[in-house]
Amino acid sequence: MAEREPKVVGYCCEKHGIECVNLAARSGKQYDASIRLVRVPCTGRVDGMHILRALEDGADAVFVLGCLEKNCYYDTGSIEGRKRVDYVKSMLSQVGIEPERVEMFNASSSMAWKFPEIVSTMTDVAKRLGPIEPRGDRQ
Amino acid sequence: MKRRIQVVICRVCSGAANVLDVEKLLRVANEAPYVGSAIAVNYACNAKTIAQIVEEAKSREVDRMLIIPCSKSDVSPALFQAYKKKAKINEFLMETVDLVGEIVLPHRDNPARAQAKAESKLLAAITRMAMLEPLQKSSEKMRTKNVVIIGAGVAGVEAARQATQAGMHTILIEKSDKEVKAPGVVMPKTRLVSAKGHAGNFILTIEAGEKRETLECAAVVIASGGDWSDAKGPLVQACGAKPLYRLVQEIGEGIISREGVVIVDTPDPKADITSAQDFAWEDAIQSAIEIRKKSPETEVYLLFQEMRALGLDELSYRDAADLGVRFVRYDKKRPPHADPKDKSKIVVIDSVQGQTLSIPYGGVYYASIAPNPDNVSISEALRIPMTESGGLRRGSMQKGPIATPRPGVLVCGSAQFPRSENISRLEGRAAGALAAQLVSTGIVEFGGSVAEVTPDKCSACLTCVRTCPFEAPFIGNAGKAEIQLQLCQGCGMCVGICPSKAIELHNYTDDQLSTETASYIGGDF
Repeated sequence: MAEREPKVVGYCCEKHGIECVNLAARSGKQYDASIRLVRVPCTGRVDGMHILRALEDGADAVFVLGCLEKNCYYDTGSIEGRKRVDYVKSMLSQVGIEPERVEMFNASSSMAWKFPEIVSTMTDVAKRLGPIEPRGDRQ
Repeated sequence: MKRRIQVVICRVCSGAANVLDVEKLLRVANEAPYVGSAIAVNYACNAKTIAQIVEEAKSREVDRMLIIPCSKSDVSPALFQAYKKKAKINEFLMETVDLVGEIVLPHRDNPARAQAKAESKLLAAITRMAMLEPLQKSSEKMRTKNVVIIGAGVAGVEAARQATQAGMHTILIEKSDKEVKAPGVVMPKTRLVSAKGHAGNFILTIEAGEKRETLECAAVVIASGGDWSDAKGPLVQACGAKPLYRLVQEIGEGIISREGVVIVDTPDPKADITSAQDFAWEDAIQSAIEIRKKSPETEVYLLFQEMRALGLDELSYRDAADLGVRFVRYDKKRPPHADPKDKSKIVVIDSVQGQTLSIPYGGVYYASIAPNPDNVSISEALRIPMTESGGLRRGSMQKGPIATPRPGVLVCGSAQFPRSENISRLEGRAAGALAAQLVSTGIVEFGGSVAEVTPDKCSACLTCVRTCPFEAPFIGNAGKAEIQLQLCQGCGMCVGICPSKAIELHNYTDDQLSTETASYIGGDF
């Protein structure tokens, strides 16, 4: 059987985030295909529940990609997004799941080099930690 | 509500044909639930093809459309318009999938995985598509076509000219009683007190002299400029340093000191300065050039920590150097100061050469412009955030360099941070034109994919009211949160933070996002 590919979900804002992804593609960057991008209007829309449900549905890692904090299209959206992600991270460590599985990133639409970096960071985490196992099976 | 989706793949522009198996994608789409038709075309933006797609849409009675074109930003808005008009499909039931940017280009080295990923992306998009609801935008008429400009400086006057040229009615508010040559109405000794409303229909309260008046307008341009009063600092006390605009005036009047002119960045060199942007360097260099041209025997020194002339003004560095203007870079730890023995000299250590210079001077001028103290009241009235250095903050660069976070309010000139005269003029022109563009339609569009409160779930905790950067939510008469649609920008920040889950963002509901994610995770690749 072939090696299991990791599953990484990325919530990506429609303003700077998706433009960053687009520019990365158009400048010829290649990255791992395990990323599953889901568009949200703003990272402030992302709720802790979305991230947790994605982990529950089988994602190994989840990241949120928003605008730079001082350059957010909706002014404070990516700051709100980071708050939710930090909250989820603190919650994960309580239930015994590695908080590294969830991460928040910021990029502007001109930072083409940033997206492949994000992808490799998150796929590395997903590969290293493997799928989330039910708690009873853990030591 | 019937749910029949038409999937349209553009073979050429989407780049799918090079890497992906389009026929297989079509098969996958056709087998998916709710799909009424799936076709692949060459050039989806071609008029003939549009007719063919519309024909297909009508015969299959589809009510929603999933288009896979080149990319959302390139051509799709035009496509959407065409399908909306001809196939009578609700604009909120049409979406694009960016296969090129997300799959074809970044995974072209691995076609097998790219194909599997594209298939599951398509299925996830179809899942989302089936859950979308048709929405309608509303509109209201603008009550006036006024453009109010705050501040009759260089930028404000230029904005008034540009907006008048475009057929708008401008009202220029100026706090002093100086003479202003500008088209439209000029109101001297007037200041802004408060503002209500939204882009297209603002209601401002102004204070003209002793009297308070209300003023309706469609757009506001802030051109409050900088603080032109004399700054404080050791160089002002010791050497009588003056602001740069005095030098410009003196050159205009032909008064040039023969003993030498020193232009320093700030009157308080030890203080923290935020960035090289905070100085009107272009004007400083131009003044230096002019002095050398008019009075070649006058030595001109430019003392700076960091210097940045914008754009083509960079060329003036060389012009200035050729004319013999001396550029001296100093270190903040060893700032320029008046010679304790001889007050007519200024001492500075050149941080590049390490040399100590003792410069005789006839006049010292500083290139910094302090932020306007009126910015505080303007920012409070119009609800615009301020920068750390006391200027008015602009919004994201994606909105453009002179847009504030608040729609319908533009900011130009030194109100943001110090600008040279030339750039203030250009920004004023841009602000006038943009305000005119906003107002010229005469209609305010709102609604669509915006937030809505379910009153039964709302506990009136005010979290949304505090979170929204646009101040759209408020507590209504029923004691529950309500969203003012004209102000809602559809970002969904209140939705994500609502502890009672009482707010929903149309077409980005929790259910829609989670189902789409689950479907995408379900794909194996």
